[in-house]
Amino acid sequence: MRPGLGWALLGSELLVLFRRLRTWAMLIALAAVPILIAVAVKLSSRPTAPGRGPLFLDRITQNGLFVAVTALVVCVPLFLPLTVGVVAGDTIAGEASLGTLRYLLLAPAGRIRLLLVKYAGAVAFCFAATATVAASGALAGFVLFPVGPVTLLSGDTISVGESAWRSLLIAAYITVSLLGLSAIGLLISTFTDVPVGAMAATIVLSVVSQVLDNLPQLEWLHPWLFSHHWLGFADLLRQPISWTSFGENALLQAGYMAVCGALAYAKFSNKDVLS
Amino acid sequence: MTRARRRWLPALLLPFALAIAVVFGAVQAGASVSLPPKSAEEIVAMIARTEVRALSGTVEQDAGLGLPELPASGQGAVPGAASALEFLTGSHTARVYVDGPLKARLQILDQMAERDVVINGGDAWFYNSQDNSATHLTVPAPEMPAQNIPTPEMPTQEIPTPEAMAGRFLAAIDAGTEVTVAEASSVAGQSVYSLLLNPRSTETLVDSVSIDVDSETGLPLRVEVRAKGQAEPAYSLAYTQLDLSRPDPALFAFTPPQGATVTEKVVPAKPDRPTPDGPPAPEAQATPGHGSPGDDSRSHGVTVTGHGWDSVIALPAGSAPAEFTSNPQLSQALQPVDGGRALTTSLLSVLILDDGRVYAGMVPLERLQSAAAAR
Repeated sequence: MRPGLGWALLGSELLVLFRRLRTWAMLIALAAVPILIAVAVKLSSRPTAPGRGPLFLDRITQNGLFVAVTALVVCVPLFLPLTVGVVAGDTIAGEASLGTLRYLLLAPAGRIRLLLVKYAGAVAFCFAATATVAASGALAGFVLFPVGPVTLLSGDTISVGESAWRSLLIAAYITVSLLGLSAIGLLISTFTDVPVGAMAATIVLSVVSQVLDNLPQLEWLHPWLFSHHWLGFADLLRQPISWTSFGENALLQAGYMAVCGALAYAKFSNKDVLS
Repeated sequence: MTRARRRWLPALLLPFALAIAVVFGAVQAGASVSLPPKSAEEIVAMIARTEVRALSGTVEQDAGLGLPELPASGQGAVPGAASALEFLTGSHTARVYVDGPLKARLQILDQMAERDVVINGGDAWFYNSQDNSATHLTVPAPEMPAQNIPTPEMPTQEIPTPEAMAGRFLAAIDAGTEVTVAEASSVAGQSVYSLLLNPRSTETLVDSVSIDVDSETGLPLRVEVRAKGQAEPAYSLAYTQLDLSRPDPALFAFTPPQGATVTEKVVPAKPDRPTPDGPPAPEAQATPGHGSPGDDSRSHGVTVTGHGWDSVIALPAGSAPAEFTSNPQLSQALQPVDGGRALTTSLLSVLILDDGRVYAGMVPLERLQSAAAAR
């Protein structure tokens, strides 16, 4: 096996992923969320009462940079897991259903490498999706509203440059948050040849995890749910930044990646690829 | 077939290894540490001698008083009775920054929100990110020299730290309290001596209070209050992270953000408040806005009956805040009893009579009722 082969495979995987009409449709839908929020706030005559609606909705009129944060808060529970579930659930099952998995494995790529490349593709999509929401939000806010120093949750004010850095950190945080879900999608995808089934199962799991996270009776379970820290990115909007949730989140997602990855490898290496 | 089975091996071993790592980590965290033995008096003296004047840390508060969990109201920067009740349920995390006797900052980390208390000399700011409101309390300047400036009381008393809470319990140690030393452990990565206060009285709801003291600096790092007949601590306040270096001075300079609603309040010069002997109810520690102007007028006429742990604090008629009846969350937590309503928890009871008198104490409700009847 040549070492360059994995990179070539990754390159072609990314190319296929980001050339797909479906990927573009999902990214455009995600980009529309902040634009919708910004336009709705701009057109409404009444100012939003503080403390109502998603985080920072009332501050958007004062500072356009909050559009990105508000949009991310709106997207994290459903829209982002939805799109990530589609991409991650499609990884292996999609190839299997199209009958292309056989050809991918005919090339001397090895199953581990194929899994890794598929997972890397899903992770790349996680980042692309998060960055799309953040960038489109920043752009919509910049066009429609005045932009100035940003107020953090702690009441301190930071400059526009610093807020760009924090937005990047938030995008990184959310990408990390979605790693566990992507690994679950990859695992489910190795069990079936029906991509829609794997996608639906992944999305359902993300909803179930969030529902469980809201039941106080299951408090002992909460720290182990992959969605537990999803909204923890608010900690990056404090002064000074609280890194605790970033670290805990990364550790938790790494655990999910390891367990699901190992299971996916076991299943995939035993899988009979007939089609 | 064996080959297929071998492929499942890593998939099974990995979760197993992770589980072991998690269990091992949990055991490590709770492991006892060996420290040179110290007597209870030595530990108390160590707390009194502590020279920690600056710190930044994360404090976690857990209340398991048996009250239904209330949704965090978070409304209004200066907390009222409803938010005092909020701190008696569930768990809260806050970051604490202290620099010297006059500068402190408390950040209550709510989900997607934050409440801040910034104390800098004679200025105090309360900020609530949820409704973007700020309240500015100023203590008139002449009052500052009157207090002995080097006393560390000012911010650390206002900010609910394990240190402040331990101080109140230690101040209340008397003949009615048995003080022993428990096994040393570790809190926030520091090895700690553990001081155990056991009330000798059988009347009180308090089973024991444990105070964990940093073995190096003498700073109290964790306070746990156990209630009778309850395995889990009823109330605990502990550092989860602690750094004894000086925090960034910029943290104590607060300017309200643009667009925030700012309320200005001037605190009148405080008369020396009568301090009820006996340990105060935990809510007093947990209320960041304890120095609000309304307090002083209300604390006149406060009487304390009983002694030490089973003391009952009585407030005269008309002192019950209107919030007790108007706030639906609060009235839900109150149960009707003869002649009024009561809040009973595993650690403290509050009796609000229909004529407005309020009785409170870390005692069963019956004792409050008999104290009220004796009047």
